[in-house]
Amino acid sequence: MNALEIQNLSKTFSGQIVLDRVGLTVGEGEVHALVGQNGSGKSTVIKILAGYHAPDPGASAAVHGRPLQLGSATDAHTSGVRFVHQDLGLVLDLSAVENLMLGRRYPKGFGGRIKWRDARRVARETMARAGLDIDVRTVVGDLGVADRTRLAIARALPERDDDKVVLVLDEPTAALPAHDVDLLFGTIRRLQDAGNSIVIVSHHLDEVLGIADTITVLRDGKQVATTAAHSIDHDTLTRLIVGHALDVSAGAQAPVEASATPALRLAHLCGGAVVDVSAIVYAGEIVGVAGLAGSGREVLASMVTGRLPRLGEVAVDGLPVRPGSPRAALSARVAGVSGERARYGTFPNLGVRQNLTMGSVACHVRYGRIDARKERGEVRRWISSLGIVTRGADAPMTSLSGGNQQKVLVARALRLEPRVLVLDDPTAGVDVGAREQVHRIIETGATEDRAVLLVSTDSAELARICHRVLIMSRGRVVRELRRGHDLTADAIDHAQVAGAAAMNSQEVPTCQ
Amino acid sequence: MSVALSQSIASAASEASATTAVGVKADAPPRQPISMVLGRFSAVFLWAGFIVIFGLLKPDIFLTVSTFRLTFSEGVVTAMLALAFLIPLTAGAYDLSVGAMMGLSLVVMNHFSAYHSSVPIGLVAIGAILLCCLVGLVNGLLVVKFRVNSLIATLGMSQVLMAAELKMSDNRQILGSFSDGFQNLGTRNVFGLPIVMIYLLVLGAVIWFVLEHTPVGRYLFAVGGNAEAARLAGLNVERLTCGSLVASAAVAGIAGVVYAMKIGTFSAEAGPGLLFPALAAVFFGASQFSRRPNVWGTLVAYFALAFGVKGLQLAFGPGTFWIQPLFQGLALLIAVALASRVVGRTRRSRRAQRETSDPEPEPLEPGEPAGQNPVIELA
Repeated sequence: MNALEIQNLSKTFSGQIVLDRVGLTVGEGEVHALVGQNGSGKSTVIKILAGYHAPDPGASAAVHGRPLQLGSATDAHTSGVRFVHQDLGLVLDLSAVENLMLGRRYPKGFGGRIKWRDARRVARETMARAGLDIDVRTVVGDLGVADRTRLAIARALPERDDDKVVLVLDEPTAALPAHDVDLLFGTIRRLQDAGNSIVIVSHHLDEVLGIADTITVLRDGKQVATTAAHSIDHDTLTRLIVGHALDVSAGAQAPVEASATPALRLAHLCGGAVVDVSAIVYAGEIVGVAGLAGSGREVLASMVTGRLPRLGEVAVDGLPVRPGSPRAALSARVAGVSGERARYGTFPNLGVRQNLTMGSVACHVRYGRIDARKERGEVRRWISSLGIVTRGADAPMTSLSGGNQQKVLVARALRLEPRVLVLDDPTAGVDVGAREQVHRIIETGATEDRAVLLVSTDSAELARICHRVLIMSRGRVVRELRRGHDLTADAIDHAQVAGAAAMNSQEVPTCQ
Repeated sequence: MSVALSQSIASAASEASATTAVGVKADAPPRQPISMVLGRFSAVFLWAGFIVIFGLLKPDIFLTVSTFRLTFSEGVVTAMLALAFLIPLTAGAYDLSVGAMMGLSLVVMNHFSAYHSSVPIGLVAIGAILLCCLVGLVNGLLVVKFRVNSLIATLGMSQVLMAAELKMSDNRQILGSFSDGFQNLGTRNVFGLPIVMIYLLVLGAVIWFVLEHTPVGRYLFAVGGNAEAARLAGLNVERLTCGSLVASAAVAGIAGVVYAMKIGTFSAEAGPGLLFPALAAVFFGASQFSRRPNVWGTLVAYFALAFGVKGLQLAFGPGTFWIQPLFQGLALLIAVALASRVVGRTRRSRRAQRETSDPEPEPLEPGEPAGQNPVIELA
């Protein structure tokens, strides 16, 4: 009998097919890996299993032979399907024992008093099953990431040792150094030996090949392959994930002659998921940064624009920029645009005009007063030159579509005439038409005396407009693709997926 | 009150123009549903309604010049406190110490006039206002340097100020012995208007100019709308927040000086009792005109409520002393409840949109979600 069996699982979000008749069969005591690119549907499978989304009609599932109602969180829990999500869901202010007992019944004495001694014993035993040996009274915030991961796993285990569960681990190694990955895998093997079944979602193929018995590959919502792990190698798996072999003859465009002046220099950047990144962007050049979730790609741009603190040096034309200060970055002529508009970009209570000129209205001030007419004139020029669709210069910012809001933010950065333009996933959530326009704006914006750093999750976007693309994995740049040489969207996809394998597994990524 | 409605209409409009792909449209004034236009001027209608109703009920005593003058001049100090509260609110900070701050300025004025009458009163007034600025600076530093929530910081400060006032006045009324010339500055009429009303209008005009027509005002609204985006746009969020609390203290100090001119007596209840009506006026006013905290909305909202209270008191006799808090409490609850309901609805619909359009959202990096103050979202 199989521990978990899902058949015919489809999911449609507003007409877009995200999962197309996917099946997943996890045997008793098996470690089953679910792999695929960003957007391939892995997370949707997990979310449906966890009851966060309901599947389209027609799907069926069974746990240990008993039918499971997909889309119901309680049914999943009672059937013994347990989850450890990527963010772990621990309460950092509570102790290990308190975290472990969330969702469990405390042993109670007279008058509802918690028997802490018993609770601690239960916690110690449960943690031992996950291979964790710490003082259960430790506050979780004081634990390292590896211990937190194992605590989250321990919390997902059933109360009685002889109950078998299906444990779903979503990207458990994304934030872990190599040494801790080994420890975690020890835990997984121990649980497997105890008869539990494990579903693991991961980007790191070498890890997947090392731990899994069976691998299911998803691509664009379709189940591409399910195969035994020992019968497949790294290259074949990469090819299955990306969809086709890497086309070596690609890269027809001519290489771009950039001027020899380095405008932006990054030296040994470190902080958060970024471990050690050095790079030079020349004036007139568009350099892309790609990487899977957890590679450090997410925070790199913010470290350059000063939103996040960092170690290491950022220099513009040789002059170092003070870290952690957007003002310092701006006065060094570094302007940034973030794809997370609502959080880091727009002012919902102000109009298009005020949003566009925010931070630099001095040129329109006369006798202490903002000359609204003059300002409006400038804003209208930007509206027409960037093709911003709006009712007018004074329309509320919230009345614009996402793509047009993004163009307003790009205009805000461009009117500062920056030496370095940093774009962080600038077309996230932007429709196709507006995306094209934003691309054109970026290309024309990269004039001879400007360097552009474009961080993106969209490989096609990077391949189209970048002169060079840096591939990040585990906090480092592992490859560089050049236009006219080996830069294509496929090459970016391949390099991202393969990136993790290229790393020396002995290296422990931390800031020194 | 139908922000969601206006947004859906606005997005429909932008979609329509997107399909035509002509880029820019002429700056035609945005068309709005009539109910929304009426909502934006509801305080004006309310004010007019009160005048008509009580004018019909009690034409002989309500519709008189002296009643109007009285209502205006009685309300000036509270309206000034409302303006004081308004300034930091634009930057998303609450200053609950405005009432006690006015009390501080007042007790200093009365103390010096009663016990140190040799000091020129003009000098005392300037000193009192500067002292308030200093306390405002402490408020600001507590909020930006020590990261104390502005509600807590200013609430705590108001109690400290109360203590100072009680100590200075020995918990007694102080009858200030102000010169006639000084008192004249607070009680005279100019062009038939109470002179204090002129002060209020001048103060309002200055604050309006700064908030609506200078970079500082715009930056304050930006901080109130999205503090993190403001920081990323290069604004000095800390200095702006701190400065707004100093400005609010200065305005409260001026209100204390005007109170001294007008009434001349200090009692410990004077300041704190004015906080709530001021606050209600600001929140009600934030739903008016430009639909964000604004000067003229605040003043109109305040006087609309003040005329309502006055009318009720005149129409139903002296037993209606309980009318005022009831009136102001209800106004605040209704104004904010309607606004929050709209905000809640847009939030829900946005979440629904996100879920359907973005099946696999990238995990957000840990960090505080952009904190937004619901009142600012009235805008």
